[in-house]
Amino acid sequence: MTTTLEAKDFKGEVHPDWCPGCGDFGVLNVLQRALAESGLQQHEVAVISGIGCSSNLPGFINTYGMHTLHGRSLPNAQGFKLAHHDMKVIAVGGDGDGYGIGVGHLIHAMRRNIDMTDIVMNNSIYGLTTGQTSPTSGEGMKTKSTPFGNPELPLNPISMALGSGASFVARAFSGNPKQAVEIYKAAIAHKGFALVDTFSPCVTFNKVNTAQFYRENTYDLAAEGHDASDLQAAFKVATEDTYASGRIATGIFYQNTRPCYEETEKDTLATPICDHELGITADRAEELKARFK
Amino acid sequence: MSGKNVIVRIAGAAGDGIASTGEILGKTCSRMGLNVMAYNSFQSAIRGGHVWLQMAIGAEKQLCHGEEPEVVLLFNKTSPSVHVPDVKSGGIVFYNAATIKKEDIESIRDDVNFYGLDFKSMVDEAGLTGVSPIMINTMLSGAMVQALDLDTSIPLEFIKHKFQKKGDQVVDLNQAIFNLGADWTKNNVNEHVFQPKGDGKAKLFMTGNEAMGLGLAAGGLKLYSAYPMSPATGILHYLATIAQTDKIVIKQVEDELAAMNMVVGAGTAGVRAATATASGGYCLMVEAVGLASMLEVPAVCVVVSRGGPSTGVPTKQEQSDIDLCIAGNGDSPRFVVAPKDPEDAFYQAARALNMAEKYQIPVLILSDFFLSEHFETIDDLDFGKVEIERGKFSTEWEGEGRYKRYEYTEDGVSHRVRPGAKGAQYVPCSDEHNEFGHVMSDVEAGLPHAREERVKMHAKRMKKMETMVSNGDIEAPTLEGDENTETTFMTWGSSYSYAKEAINLLAEEGIKVNHLHFTDVYPMPKEATLAQLKKCKRIVSVENNMCNSLCREVLAQTAFEVTEHINRWDGEPFTGEYIVNEFKKIAAKKELAKV
Ligand SMILES: Cc1ncc(C[n+]2csc(CCOP(=O)(O)OP(=O)(O)O)c2C)c(N)n1
Ligand code: SF4
Ligand SMILES: [Mg+2]
Repeated sequence: MTTTLEAKDFKGEVHPDWCPGCGDFGVLNVLQRALAESGLQQHEVAVISGIGCSSNLPGFINTYGMHTLHGRSLPNAQGFKLAHHDMKVIAVGGDGDGYGIGVGHLIHAMRRNIDMTDIVMNNSIYGLTTGQTSPTSGEGMKTKSTPFGNPELPLNPISMALGSGASFVARAFSGNPKQAVEIYKAAIAHKGFALVDTFSPCVTFNKVNTAQFYRENTYDLAAEGHDASDLQAAFKVATEDTYASGRIATGIFYQNTRPCYEETEKDTLATPICDHELGITADRAEELKARFK
Repeated sequence: MSGKNVIVRIAGAAGDGIASTGEILGKTCSRMGLNVMAYNSFQSAIRGGHVWLQMAIGAEKQLCHGEEPEVVLLFNKTSPSVHVPDVKSGGIVFYNAATIKKEDIESIRDDVNFYGLDFKSMVDEAGLTGVSPIMINTMLSGAMVQALDLDTSIPLEFIKHKFQKKGDQVVDLNQAIFNLGADWTKNNVNEHVFQPKGDGKAKLFMTGNEAMGLGLAAGGLKLYSAYPMSPATGILHYLATIAQTDKIVIKQVEDELAAMNMVVGAGTAGVRAATATASGGYCLMVEAVGLASMLEVPAVCVVVSRGGPSTGVPTKQEQSDIDLCIAGNGDSPRFVVAPKDPEDAFYQAARALNMAEKYQIPVLILSDFFLSEHFETIDDLDFGKVEIERGKFSTEWEGEGRYKRYEYTEDGVSHRVRPGAKGAQYVPCSDEHNEFGHVMSDVEAGLPHAREERVKMHAKRMKKMETMVSNGDIEAPTLEGDENTETTFMTWGSSYSYAKEAINLLAEEGIKVNHLHFTDVYPMPKEATLAQLKKCKRIVSVENNMCNSLCREVLAQTAFEVTEHINRWDGEPFTGEYIVNEFKKIAAKKELAKV
């Protein structure tokens, strides 16, 4: 019999090296609680990241995982998941990692719909590289690489996800752990690819999108009766609620039940391929060769 | 060659059925127990390009597709001016009289025998209906099979198999058209070319890509992710056909970055995973290959070389990517192996999967356009020879205390526990790390204990390069032929066969050359390699490139310099004759060594 774990059982051996007050602490706590409350054991989970302050998270959690390359958390995580699909796979990383260098993988992962979760710790800045503009930095924002203000429009991850066939799209805020735990649990339980854009303020390099800013400018979709099965409604909210609007939605924007990728390869993935017997039998070898005769 | 084999060529527009005509002929020979080597020279396979295929057929193993064809099938009007000049004097040219004008082709040479087949009047005369002009390829196949005096019942069976789904009528019609070509040839063609006889033992007729795919499958491949790029795509195509039956996850992904990273993710989770790409695609994978080195995760990538730099010469031959396979940021352990022919590709692919797991490293199988795309006969592939060795690996953790994924060991290889095992949680990390996998950079970077750990961990990883050699898992180059010759040809990868052919041709002239061939190119066992090199009096490298990549690598790894070279970099593979001619040019400068 397995016992039910608590959040503290998912605490890693290494203490996080984030700046005091960094939003990523909150994300780590929320994730540890969500895993415990989802009834998971440490060895049943793999947390897989790219590179960035946020991508250091797998080092601080007591599960399996990978700490890979900048922007490449998703292909590593998808390869891992297809190889060992009875483990829970959770990709984590920053907005630069997920929406900048790795955005190509994200779009395809969403339409592919492998059963996993992707948490993007969105601080609208490149933290680890000491404060350059990111794909979600607001227009006009001054950063080290845009001292005269960011001339580009920020990317809207929610409408991008909705347009890419994502089967679960949500947004959380590390400063609202109660709501975030519920969203993470729903994402983990979702059968398919779940994107959770998570506001996680960088206290050192982003003086605009602070915890205070998010407390003042976010609201809970569920409280306003949003229907998460309605794609058009989700698009409407996602496009209306911009950074600049002062009304930024959090909660589950959209969820559907289309079959996840694994269900399209039921035969091959009847059991995890990492458990399969390796090699080709003598009889099968003859059949394979016959095609070339 | 010379009376021991026959060279045939089939040419036309992409879409004329050149490949299927060639396949029927090749498989007919192969079933009869004949040996075939076929080279398809094609422009990017878009309809409208001119394509051709050349085959050497004989009772012995064929090492070369040859220079001058003796029996030729020409389909379109571009064909005569391109191919008639190459035909061997006295050879036979069958052509499609509907697309090629008699006066245009037959005026080119008077020492060649031309036969224009008038498809329309032949089928009309035979009273066949429902025909389409494209079926000329079936008629010309019949002519070719008859001219070579091959067993016509075999191609007739292929035709039946191919059209069975469309009903008996379609089968009958195609067989009738084939027979028209064969009968016409029997009645009208008097010239005799060499007609090879097989031993009746059916062989396998396949490309290097297919053999590579089959070798990966035999070696326990479970996940293959790739992004299409010629000439590597054939592996993806082959594996996709057996994905369901053999329970292999085959994923075409968004780009090469994804392909290689997916392999690393799957390898981390404990399956045998591989990808393949061509030169330019591999450039995009370099960072992830380093990731595999750093995480100590088994990963296999087939790098199919084509001419570079950049997009280069997409569907043409070149062997210029040794440096690319070794390159990456930092010193990073890996193994690079270059199979010499399709048969070797099968065994090396399976070996690569073993080496990757045994040493927990990326393994690069360096192929090239010629090796990957050409067809040849293989006597047999022995799946029984393929053993699966997983090295220090377990699915459960039963050790004492905290599990150390990167435990320091004498041979540099640590015990790998598959993620999912209870109680052994670890996170492999692309930053430098300690034995547990904990990051040593960021906050701790530069502190004395982190510097010490960096030194030890980096040395542990690189130690595996030595361990591979000391374990005897890396082969020194082979030296074939008489050890006392004045000259040695030095080759790697697919140039093996051509050099061997050239050596045979030179022997007929009384010039003796032996053959030093490299299969394992990185690392090289230094002492054993030097010992082989020193047995040679005068070494001439033979490489399908401009800048002698093997010679550079031999110099880098053994400090031995090879200074005479035969190169070819016009996009075509060597031929035996080409090498002989180049050798004579070099020899004319120095004194030709006659023994
Ligand atoms: C290929 C590559 N390019 C650039 C970098 C440098 N780099 C490391 S993290 C990072 C951006 C980090 O931003 P984000 O992903 O938002 O994470 P954060 O630090 O804000 O959590 C960059 C550009 C790298 N490591 N690898
Ligand atoms: S730099 Fe910003 S993102 Fe990075 S740890 Fe510090 S506060 Fe967090
Ligand atoms: Mg960021």
